[in-house]
Amino acid sequence: MIMSERRQPGPAAQLKEAPAGPTMKPDAEQTRPSAPDGQTDLQLVRKARQGDRSAFDLLVLKYQSRVASIISRYIYDSQEVLDLTQETFVKAYRAIERFRGDSAFYTWLYRIAVNTAKNFLEARGRRPQGVADVNDAESFEDGFRLRDVGSPEGFLQRDQLREALEAAIGSLPEELRSAFLLREYEGLSYEDIARILECPIGTVRSRIFRARDAIDRQLGPMLDNT
Amino acid sequence: MSDENSEVQAMDDRLRETLSAMMDDQADELAVRRVLSHHDQPAVRDQWQRWQRIRDVIHETPSGHAGLDVRDAVSASLDRSASADDSHRQAVRRRHAPWRWSAVAMITFGVAIGFGAGSGWDVMSGTGSDSLVPVQAQVPAAAQDSAVPQVTLQGLDARQREQVSRYLLEHAQNNSVVAGQGAVGYARLTSMSGTGY
Repeated sequence: MIMSERRQPGPAAQLKEAPAGPTMKPDAEQTRPSAPDGQTDLQLVRKARQGDRSAFDLLVLKYQSRVASIISRYIYDSQEVLDLTQETFVKAYRAIERFRGDSAFYTWLYRIAVNTAKNFLEARGRRPQGVADVNDAESFEDGFRLRDVGSPEGFLQRDQLREALEAAIGSLPEELRSAFLLREYEGLSYEDIARILECPIGTVRSRIFRARDAIDRQLGPMLDNT
Repeated sequence: MSDENSEVQAMDDRLRETLSAMMDDQADELAVRRVLSHHDQPAVRDQWQRWQRIRDVIHETPSGHAGLDVRDAVSASLDRSASADDSHRQAVRRRHAPWRWSAVAMITFGVAIGFGAGSGWDVMSGTGSDSLVPVQAQVPAAAQDSAVPQVTLQGLDARQREQVSRYLLEHAQNNSVVAGQGAVGYARLTSMSGTGY
């Protein structure tokens, strides 16, 4: 099992306390995101296929940490991890015509990353040290549950960042906080959030944006240092 | 940092709100296109990356590589390979160009030789396919002296010209029947020869 247990962060508790309209039931029907998952990825892939490198840049920036984490399952040398992360995206760009959209873009990328790492090890006569498998991409499509192999400094930075994040979320005006938490922690679509908060979708969209903006401003220097 | 903030500020709030919606898969195709066509792409990328990092922290994406940024390296690598592909294509084109002209010249020469052979073959030995071999053997020797006058149609008399025409027409006609590709050539020859074929 490569995943670590997902911690319940502080803001999730804040969400439960927030009087956000009708009572939120934790049943699957209500908590399942109804947003078209991966829609932005597909749009970016389409543009990248047409040669729009800016679109592919956004995909790189979105997934680079996760791809590096996948490769870290196999390879422990950080420079090699960086090189193979880069190679994974180069291969993905060259093969993007072959991405048919049958699976999520991340699943496809995950496969490329795993194969790149395995091929690298085989070329050097080394056996894969890690335990990640291509099937993991299907099981954990959101890619959020991989085991962390960061350095102690990395852990410390992350803990500090997490604390700062929780403080930033806690200081948000209630209507912004509710919308943001419903989106980020519960994964609800704007439509569902609008129903719960009893406000127009445009308002939800605006509130989530303003929440992100406020958090970004508060975390600013810390994000730069990570 | 202050520079980066001013870069981010270069995007108006409407566009940043769209980018935020893109984070949540809630932006339509037109909105995505608007973001991608914004003149200040570094600002777009910077804002996108910062929000992605926040999300990574929220969702506990392994942070051992949280600060990494391979975008520049990937982009440079793709640029390099694109220019390498271009120069490879150009090199291949350069390498093949002389051969292409040589091939054209050889085909032209072959056709001209064919005309020459056709013109000599009836004159020298009457009819029959067995006369083809000696005529072919003679052509290079003749061509060594003065190839051009002998292999052109201009040196043929009316009877020889008629025979060549007839031969070519039959050939084109057969070709158009068998392969279905020679109809144009046949039509062209018919219209040029005016012999009624």
